[in-house]
Amino acid sequence: MAETVMRVIGDTLSGADLNAPLLEVDDLRVEFQVRGKRIPAVRGASFTLEQGRTLAVVGESGSGKSVTSQAIMGILDTPPAHITGGRVMLHGVDLLKQDEDTRRTVRGNHIAIVFQDALSALNPLWSVGFQIGELYRVHRGLSRADAKKRAIEMLDLVGIPDAKNRVGHYPHQFSGGMRQRVMIAMALALDPEILIADEPTTALDVTVQAQIMRLLKRIQAERHMGLILITHDLGVVADVADDVAVMYAGEVVERAGIRDAFKRPAHPYTKSLLRAIPRVDTVGQQLEVIRGLPPNPASLPSGCPFHPRCFAAEDKCATEVPPWLEPSETHGSRCHFAEEVYADER
Amino acid sequence: MSELTAPTPTAERQATLWSDAFHAMRKRPDVIIATVVLLFVFAMAAFPGLFTDKNPTTCIGRDAKQRPDTWFTGEHPLGTDAFGCDFAATLVHGTRPTITLALSVIIASALIGLVLGIYAGYYGGWIDGIISRGLDVFIVIPMLMGAMLILSLFRGRVSSDNLFETIAAPALALTLFGWMEFCRYTRAATLESKNLDYVVAARCLGASDRRIMFKHILPNAIVPVTAIVPTTIGGIIVTEAALAVLGIGVQPPATSWGVLLSKGTEWAGGGYVYLFAWPLALLILTVFAFATFGDALRDALDPKLR
Amino acid sequence: MGRYVIRRLLQALLTLGIVLFLLHYLMALSVQIRGNPATLFFGGERTPDAAMLAQVERLYGLDNKCYERVGDPCLTPFVDRLQQYVTGDLGTTLNGNRDVAQLLGIYIPNTLRLFIFATITLVAVSMVLGTWAARHRGSFIDHTVRGTTILADSVPVFLILLSYVYIVAVPLTRWARGIWGTESFMGQVFRPNYNPDYPWTTIIIPGIIVGTVGLATMTRLIRAAQLENLGSDFVRTAKAKGLKPLRITVVHVIRNSMIPIITGVGFLFAFMLSGAVLTEGVMGIPGMGRMIFEAVQRQEANLVIVGLSVSAVVVVFVSVIVDLLYAAFDPRIRYE
Repeated sequence: MAETVMRVIGDTLSGADLNAPLLEVDDLRVEFQVRGKRIPAVRGASFTLEQGRTLAVVGESGSGKSVTSQAIMGILDTPPAHITGGRVMLHGVDLLKQDEDTRRTVRGNHIAIVFQDALSALNPLWSVGFQIGELYRVHRGLSRADAKKRAIEMLDLVGIPDAKNRVGHYPHQFSGGMRQRVMIAMALALDPEILIADEPTTALDVTVQAQIMRLLKRIQAERHMGLILITHDLGVVADVADDVAVMYAGEVVERAGIRDAFKRPAHPYTKSLLRAIPRVDTVGQQLEVIRGLPPNPASLPSGCPFHPRCFAAEDKCATEVPPWLEPSETHGSRCHFAEEVYADER
Repeated sequence: MSELTAPTPTAERQATLWSDAFHAMRKRPDVIIATVVLLFVFAMAAFPGLFTDKNPTTCIGRDAKQRPDTWFTGEHPLGTDAFGCDFAATLVHGTRPTITLALSVIIASALIGLVLGIYAGYYGGWIDGIISRGLDVFIVIPMLMGAMLILSLFRGRVSSDNLFETIAAPALALTLFGWMEFCRYTRAATLESKNLDYVVAARCLGASDRRIMFKHILPNAIVPVTAIVPTTIGGIIVTEAALAVLGIGVQPPATSWGVLLSKGTEWAGGGYVYLFAWPLALLILTVFAFATFGDALRDALDPKLR
Repeated sequence: MGRYVIRRLLQALLTLGIVLFLLHYLMALSVQIRGNPATLFFGGERTPDAAMLAQVERLYGLDNKCYERVGDPCLTPFVDRLQQYVTGDLGTTLNGNRDVAQLLGIYIPNTLRLFIFATITLVAVSMVLGTWAARHRGSFIDHTVRGTTILADSVPVFLILLSYVYIVAVPLTRWARGIWGTESFMGQVFRPNYNPDYPWTTIIIPGIIVGTVGLATMTRLIRAAQLENLGSDFVRTAKAKGLKPLRITVVHVIRNSMIPIITGVGFLFAFMLSGAVLTEGVMGIPGMGRMIFEAVQRQEANLVIVGLSVSAVVVVFVSVIVDLLYAAFDPRIRYE
């Protein structure tokens, strides 16, 4: 596998260093220009993704997780969005510094994305075969017929029955789950090193959700890809992710291995999120909810942006921005009391 | 959480839609200018006495064809026409028939369209079949052509003393071929809102069909209809002028902008351009104001397109 | 798909049948109320000899008793009329006694040429302006485009024409002829009136002027369609696939914007017909529009009805084509 990766990377991305981490996002900052005002959407997102691992990015809607993923892809609309700082390193190459041609090659070839709502993310006027084949034709220069053959293979791979016939069908002729499989087939077409799945199962029925998650997991293992799973639902990621990054108000507030994060959260926000998940062993007890509403990014609370909703907040939380603390080597948290929360003393 | 909150009642939702639209429009300079122009024109139609003290029917032959060299002052601010009538007075008094015609056509067609559209959309079945077929049939003949047909087939001489008789024939003809767009929009809006939760709820509570149609569905249907009203008024004014130029609209000696334009074309070539230019300018200004206002209104009522 | 086409065609035929009947009924009513138009044959002034009048009535198919009963739909003459239409007999003109079918043979191609230029102008100008406005949404350019197209739409076509004919055309023609000569393309194109020796050249300017009808509506439609597609999820997907902007525009935006454009052209076609009536009348183009224009002024009911029937056939035909194009462009309609 490593050989193929080296070949592809060497062809299309000069300066790539295979010893560097697969993807390293460092202090990424994105602002939106709305009616003359600059509103921060991402205020310093940092995480690392290694080959063959799954990183879950968890947060409420508006926490900046989707913007982060689109900034990594380089598909934010500028204006209104502006990337104002940070680095996005693919095998040691800073993508933000590349020209548009290189970025286009990286999209599809190295990083691909699966969106939440496949019905609107697929063009209703073209057959799914055309839309998958388009990648082979544009990036690999294949003929229409060859591209269609490859598209059938991809549909087969993601478990769409009767792929030979289905390849000529249009998005509206598929069920929700099948459509999401088509999206995944399209994302995987050029065998990318990184797959970003942006809430891939939110729009689906519960039973179908599980099938799609299994499919993603299977393909990731087969291809040794890095997978970024963006979700608002901690429950979904529990048994598929290796690491987790929790986002709140545009920044990563906690980063840890998934087990550690579930067992010993080091940020009050994560802790509250975990308490809000219904579990079999808590049947009959009142579920805890996080009081208040997510903050408005145009007027964030001073100090720690979570302090108005925090159960552990003290006076200094309202005035001092908390530093990044690491209660253990693999566990970081942006909270004044990270150690105490980690030790379950708060 | 949001699923638990009660759905906002229609009246309240409508109120915010309209007040939002009003606030959005109030801030646009083009809308303000258009409104001023329209108020000016409406005032001219309602109170011609405010703008001129002359009587357009008192004409003195030896004053004929005086050019308006005095620039808005003197005896005849806009000069006199070929028969010695004060042109400013003629223009001001020609406004009322034009505006009355446009308003009565728009009110009649919107009412017809709304009622037919709601019935077609709400009941469906054969009622919808008939109304939709009628819609197809009338939409085939554009407004100007249809009005031309009716007016040329049933042309007769009408006395001009009475405002109603002056405009009745063209107004009827324009209404007959002007209701379709309103009907189409209303029907579509009715079909859409017929199955909304609060309408279904009202039906479950035993509200009568008529109550559901006019209390719950009508407020939704009014929105797209209102959005096209100003632009359509502009279209009607233009069509009236075209009919008058063809000689089958408002009949002289009664006046309207169309009649003045039609007469003006005869004199414009002979050097009396002002007889053509003034009604032309007034017409274009008014139609432009209506169109600008209508465009802004459509944007305000359908924020998705802004 | 096949069934969709057949259903649509049957619907169109039914609509057309009702339109034809309505036109016939209106004419019958007019005869019943206002008296016999056959008197026009004699100049309409003096009362003609009864026997001669009867002969003329027979000639124009007005001898049926139903024309004396107000409100009678006159079904027998209607069926006769349809039969005559089918055999290609559209009657003769009261004034000059010319064969209407023959006249149509001359008029229709002229009007078609006018419409070709008008449609090209409308689509090309509104596409450019709509796309431009969409790209610069909310900016000065957007507002200028909007204001200009609304203004162009507010000035009635016949007034643009009159201004062109009386003010611009003559000096422009003189200027062009001074440079390129009378017989050149440029020497003919700006003429204020139609010249049958240059059937294409002298119809360009009137075509462009008719094409301004509905410019604001069309630009608005295209701007809205492009905005909707530019911000759509599938364009974001296309970007994520690493496609170039040009390919995204051509493959994913323009094709998806075609449906409102087709709707707009179909919708505005009927209005362009009205525009043609005045344009052809003012510019002296011997086309359908001028025929209707003159028929109205000379009160030739038969000619008005034939003219409107032809225009109805065209409008219905265009609307069928529009619906079929929908199906061709949108699989969601095709596989309904």
